[in-house]
Amino acid sequence: MLKKKVIFTFSSENVERPVTYQLIKKYDLWVNILQAKFKPSLGGKLVLELKGDEKQIKEGLDFVRQIGVQVELLEQEVLWDEKKCVDCGACVSICSTGVLSLDKVTYKLKFDYEKCIVCGNCVEACPLGAIKVTF
Amino acid sequence: MTIKKTYEEINKKIKKGEAVVVTAEEIIPIVEEKGVEKAAEEIDVVTTGTFGPMCSSGAIINFGHSDPPIRMQKVWLNDVEAYAGLAAVDAYIGATQISESRGMEYGGAHVIEDLISGREIKLRALSNGTDCYPRREIETHITKESINQAVLFNPRNSYQNYNVAINTSDRKIYTYMGILLPKMGNANYCTSGQLSPLLNDPKFITIGVGTRIFLGGAQGYVVWEGTQFCPMSLKTDDGKTVYRGGTLAVIGDLKEMSPDYIRAAIFKGYGVSLLVGIGVPIPILNSEVMKYVAVKDEDIYTEIVDYSFPRLNRPSLGWVNYKQLREGRIRVRGKDVPTSPLSSYAKAREIAQKLKEKILKGEFLLQEPIQKFPKEREFKPLLEIR
Repeated sequence: MLKKKVIFTFSSENVERPVTYQLIKKYDLWVNILQAKFKPSLGGKLVLELKGDEKQIKEGLDFVRQIGVQVELLEQEVLWDEKKCVDCGACVSICSTGVLSLDKVTYKLKFDYEKCIVCGNCVEACPLGAIKVTF
Repeated sequence: MTIKKTYEEINKKIKKGEAVVVTAEEIIPIVEEKGVEKAAEEIDVVTTGTFGPMCSSGAIINFGHSDPPIRMQKVWLNDVEAYAGLAAVDAYIGATQISESRGMEYGGAHVIEDLISGREIKLRALSNGTDCYPRREIETHITKESINQAVLFNPRNSYQNYNVAINTSDRKIYTYMGILLPKMGNANYCTSGQLSPLLNDPKFITIGVGTRIFLGGAQGYVVWEGTQFCPMSLKTDDGKTVYRGGTLAVIGDLKEMSPDYIRAAIFKGYGVSLLVGIGVPIPILNSEVMKYVAVKDEDIYTEIVDYSFPRLNRPSLGWVNYKQLREGRIRVRGKDVPTSPLSSYAKAREIAQKLKEKILKGEFLLQEPIQKFPKEREFKPLLEIR
């Protein structure tokens, strides 16, 4: 079982294609929509978390590329500038998935990128502007 | 035998490199092991620290005179207005004033941080012009090196014990206590608890006018009680004593400060504030002083307050201690609520350590207050009288 976060960028040509349906139905992928921004008939962006067999993820993404949708793999979609951070913890309680926490010994901020669903709550909660979302 | 030490005795030991100094965290297990009396005998100074948003902050600046000279009546620093209603080239830049061109994304706190960091600041000033100060306008650039004085003077810092902010309403609210999620989705607090200066000397036995402190990385002084100073303790329903209304007015040379300990902050939807790093050394004059510095997070209580209620007196939702808050979750009305500190405990610890090292090296001597703070003060509301 593999887990991958991806951004799909749609153009006016392929924005009508039911991509998520195909990924689920044809490639048996577990699809979680993290973010979606669309303008009808113009295009848009979709941030997904995919879970499934490695081979099927690869084939599913090949299919998406074939129909002209741009595919980017997300490794660190939320950028944390440790130099700006003062470990105040303002972001901790607002993080819905437990990505951000204060270490129980050092009280310094810990960032668990794995759990992030790119909700952006921490971006607006950070008083130092130390967190940015690249979406 | 009761221990009694004077400031002179402690300073003599510091100068000889013989003083025993620990932080307000390190003292806790020492007192638990040895007891208050023995610990008071052995330890000379306990250092405290805090690093959090302190809105009532600002800097007094003297720009120097231009030729021809101007009596500045309106002054802007990087488009943030500073108060110039004093003499000709003095101004006070307040931390929370926001930029006239960039709004909430830049404010007085940023001007202060930029100055400390050595960056150039655009100065613009206007005047009516007088016979002795004929000039009516000036636009130039300053740095901390080019100006005569830059003095951080904060009228209310280091709040003794702030409340915990929570939101019972159905919508997200943006406050000076950070973003509060609807239906008690989170709770924010803002004190360094057992490390906090005024919780370690809650009765102001050692802290008063003239106390030398660590301020923003430099040496500073307590110059007065902070505004809204209210030193009386109160009792919770179940009999716990709570100290919370003490504050400090502090001063220090901004030119010697470091951006590691003075930072601008933006609270979205609320505005700009200044994160100030303060450390206060507490001389162990006797066992009573030691008893107070041994305070632990679990013994310090604070009130949970509903910030969705837009009035002066907001409803209370009970009391919690800092151990519970720091564990990251508290129970409020049967609900499990995640907590956030807005005050950096890691930085508070760093400041207490730094101050300890300075004292151990003999670089920082203790100053006995030249005047004690009042024992009582009324916390007055503003009445609307027509």
